[in-house]
Amino acid sequence: MEALKAVLMWLLALGVAGAAVAVPCILAAPYFQEAFTYWLAVVVAAAVTLLFVVAFHQTILFYLRFVLKSLFRNPLRTGLTAAATMLLVFIVTLVWTVLWFLNQVMTEKSKDLKAIVTERWQVPSQMPFSYGAALADGATRKPGDVKPQDSMTWQFYGGTLDAGKMTRENIVFFFCMDPNKFLTMMDGIDEFTPDQIEQLKKWADEMVKDKRKVVIGVDRLKALNKKVGERVKVHSMNYTDLNLDVEIIGALPPGRYAQSAVMNCQYLNDALNEDYPRTHAGQKHPLADKSLNLVWLRVPDTKTYEKMADQIETAYRDSTPSVKCETASSGVASFLDAYRDLLWGMEYLFSPIALVSMAVVIATAISISVRERRTEMAILKVLGFGPWRILWMVLGEGLLVGAGSGLLSVALTYLVVNVWYGGIPFPIAFFPAFKIPVLAFAWGPLIGAGAALAGSVVPAIFAMWVNVAQVFSKTA
Amino acid sequence: MGADEPIVSVRNLHKFFTRGSEKIDVLIGLSLDVPEGEFLALMGPSGSGKTTLLNLTAGLDRPSEGVIRVGDKVISDMSESQLAAWRTRHVGFVFQFYHLLPVLSAYENVELPLLLLPLTAAQRRQQVLTALDLVGLSDRLHHRPGQLSGGQQQRVGIARAVVTDPTLIVADEPTGDLDSKSAEEILNLLVELQKGLRKTIIMVTHDPRAASRAERVLHLDKGRLVDDVTNPGDGAFRTAGHEAGPSEMFTRKP
Repeated sequence: MEALKAVLMWLLALGVAGAAVAVPCILAAPYFQEAFTYWLAVVVAAAVTLLFVVAFHQTILFYLRFVLKSLFRNPLRTGLTAAATMLLVFIVTLVWTVLWFLNQVMTEKSKDLKAIVTERWQVPSQMPFSYGAALADGATRKPGDVKPQDSMTWQFYGGTLDAGKMTRENIVFFFCMDPNKFLTMMDGIDEFTPDQIEQLKKWADEMVKDKRKVVIGVDRLKALNKKVGERVKVHSMNYTDLNLDVEIIGALPPGRYAQSAVMNCQYLNDALNEDYPRTHAGQKHPLADKSLNLVWLRVPDTKTYEKMADQIETAYRDSTPSVKCETASSGVASFLDAYRDLLWGMEYLFSPIALVSMAVVIATAISISVRERRTEMAILKVLGFGPWRILWMVLGEGLLVGAGSGLLSVALTYLVVNVWYGGIPFPIAFFPAFKIPVLAFAWGPLIGAGAALAGSVVPAIFAMWVNVAQVFSKTA
Repeated sequence: MGADEPIVSVRNLHKFFTRGSEKIDVLIGLSLDVPEGEFLALMGPSGSGKTTLLNLTAGLDRPSEGVIRVGDKVISDMSESQLAAWRTRHVGFVFQFYHLLPVLSAYENVELPLLLLPLTAAQRRQQVLTALDLVGLSDRLHHRPGQLSGGQQQRVGIARAVVTDPTLIVADEPTGDLDSKSAEEILNLLVELQKGLRKTIIMVTHDPRAASRAERVLHLDKGRLVDDVTNPGDGAFRTAGHEAGPSEMFTRKP
């Protein structure tokens, strides 16, 4: 039993040391340009920490043991504090995940950037599909005009598999586009493995050959309760009376597109422009000239973008509808402008309230604990434990509860939200779901530890300056 | 420090507290010497300043005025951190209410002060086992304070006090919370430490029987030293000026 305890203590000590290395490493990762330099820094940090742990293992183990014993003398209070911290870290993690993702997509790039063309005066944008070809060419009109390196048109087709029962599980949302552009223009393709990319190429070829063939994200497919190879009828939600029969030929892998679906835009356009008039006495579909929602253009640098944006906006100035060209990040930012108050509230109201609540919860628990143990603090002082050691013991309790609960909360959130639930279904913009980033494994312990530090610093100072003579005179 | 020099030397010690604008004198111009290896008892009515004197001598508090020297160190000039480090090596404490940490076992409680010293785990273990053996608790290593009797807890407290081999052991009413049998055992143990290991012990007590086990008894009243009595070892106490029995001594008013 003693040996088992010793092993567990060692594991905990190494875990704490590992977290002390991992958290800064995760946070620092984006600032390293080369993988080699980054991993070198990680190895050096790990080695230094390991040396530190080995050199001071007796002291570290004693403090850990003492702090744990102090925490477990009142398991109910510690448990409730940890549970409250976990809940609040969970809330902050969800909020920050959405904010972090939006911040990522709104951050301007200076090279290899994407431009987005939308209708100037209306959201959502509804342009004639005929705009697509000219926009894909950068609306060039004269020598010297610049062209984009690549382009992609997007038409949105959302529908349900059961017209009589329109639930979240039945809905599928298609990006109607040139299937070959999926690999060249969509974001996050570098996250796919070579095998997955090869598979995507094959699906794109099949979708070009047979326009009824579609691919659906693995999580969406599961939610729809459908399998690859099945044929389904999609009852449109945004194109009145335009229901499409599709054959599912593949499942987009887990990750960014796990909730998405892709259809050959030719299928939608044919249905819109040929099938619909045929079945509706030659009438045009109301959205026949409004089916193009977005055009994506890839440009090499900011200078090219500025020139091309000017070309496009000049060319379409007097058209109806008129269009605007902006970088993808500012396009997303404009789109998100409608959610400005909500996002502001999330960032500056919701998160701080959760963080302050967390600090107050921990402060209350630690304060009670310190008040109860004033005599013990005094004994430690009598035995020669200096004020700083006592301060660190109290802070250590808070930090261990805070960081431990934070890490546990993030791990559970990651599992539940990403693996089980397929992301946070936050209905904002055209983002399918927000996945908890790996970065959250750094946020969680840091949020918990930060709140714990803020909460336990005052009780720790009180413990630090406990007057021995006064405590003992009261005890006597 | 010469062979005849006292291990504890207190000169012109003043300690006062302020409550609002009121100044409360607790110790007034007190001086005393304690030779190495002496078992000294401090007696006096409540509020006489004996515990304050004990705390000052042990470096738990700092004097308002005066000099306290323990061994070759003037502790009255030390900062709180310096005092903490000094206490670890030089002072062992025994309290009336034992003051063991309830979450730690007897072994861990005794080990506590050693963690602040540069010792290996094996050295620590050796010292802890020796100390617990000395107080007769080798078979209670992993018992927590709640699983021990009052007398056993006090013995753990004594083991914790001696485990660093301190210069000075201070005991504040060490038998005050014990029945007479356990109190006797604890006093025997203290005498054993003093005689066998030549430890200097300063003990605060209200109990004349406990004081009678000391070699010398100082009587304080209203912050002043009013009597200094030496126990000749034959049951009779000798004061600075005259002979007196213990009962007379302890009941005499200044």
